[in-house]
Amino acid sequence: MRFITIGLAAAALTAGIAAASAQTMSYSDAGALLAQSCGKDIEKYCAKVNLGDGALKDCLSGPGAKVNPQCVADYQTVVASLTKRAAAQASVPKLCRNDVARHCQGMVPGDAHFLSCLNAAYRVVTAACNQAIVDAGWR
Amino acid sequence: MKKTRIAALAAVLAFAGATLPASAQTALSEGQILQSLQSAARVAPPNLSAALIANAVQEHIKNNPGMPITWTPLQLLDGLAQINVQIQFALNSDIIRPESYSTIGSIADALHHPILAGYKFVVTGNTDITGDRMKNLELSQRRANAVMNALVTVYNVDPARLEAVGLGQENLQDVQNPKDPINRRVQLINVGKYLPGK
Repeated sequence: MRFITIGLAAAALTAGIAAASAQTMSYSDAGALLAQSCGKDIEKYCAKVNLGDGALKDCLSGPGAKVNPQCVADYQTVVASLTKRAAAQASVPKLCRNDVARHCQGMVPGDAHFLSCLNAAYRVVTAACNQAIVDAGWR
Repeated sequence: MKKTRIAALAAVLAFAGATLPASAQTALSEGQILQSLQSAARVAPPNLSAALIANAVQEHIKNNPGMPITWTPLQLLDGLAQINVQIQFALNSDIIRPESYSTIGSIADALHHPILAGYKFVVTGNTDITGDRMKNLELSQRRANAVMNALVTVYNVDPARLEAVGLGQENLQDVQNPKDPINRRVQLINVGKYLPGK
């Protein structure tokens, strides 16, 4: 059992290092960072406000909320990173169109077939397409 | 190479998860979430929608008085590709607690992945049987709405691919232990192909 635990920890570590090369945060990491940096302030000043619809952001930046500077900084980081990720996801079809035509001939669209193909061929895929896939969180 | 390793890890974790007791619900990896939600063998019946599910819930309340142990299951959702997640809400409220922001983010990560891009999903809310049955139904609807709202407005998920529906206490995970906190959960259920414009 102990060996399994160690094996999983090592795998998690490897995954962590791999993730560090991504240029944008995952949505899960973004949520974790918000909770870590702003959780206490949220419970203190905005306990009756929900995450969605910008309500939390309005409350934390509103009068009466003396939010710690780390929360302010990390909130901005999260918003910037999620915006960048969304833009990258939207840009992949365009930036990778030629790569698909060149490297993924005959593949049926759907079920992420093109993505699997581009990820397998990353050494010969254009830098712009590779970067977009990484920023999209898809590699 | 990296993909293969992650897939192998996901498979190992999925297997380990299957042998755990039901109460030890651990966080799902992205690989597990994608695998669970994409299962081609569990295709939803055509036109399954939040409205249909909400109707089935009303029928279930009418047809199943008494204690849960005597209830017939809410069969509509059985066998569909889905995941269960524990989201922490404030007591008797739809306010999502900060410790669950990351869990909702992991749902968003899955929904943004190309492998699930062609599908629609229903977000459900479930309570245990503590308290009034109709109030539980209403609270679970507000909680499902709150999760969907966070997915759409914070995590950029396309609202056209999501619907929220409260199941109250009608779809218990453990009918033998209807007050067990394991019943309080949110489900993300694949309800079929997303065809824009339809």
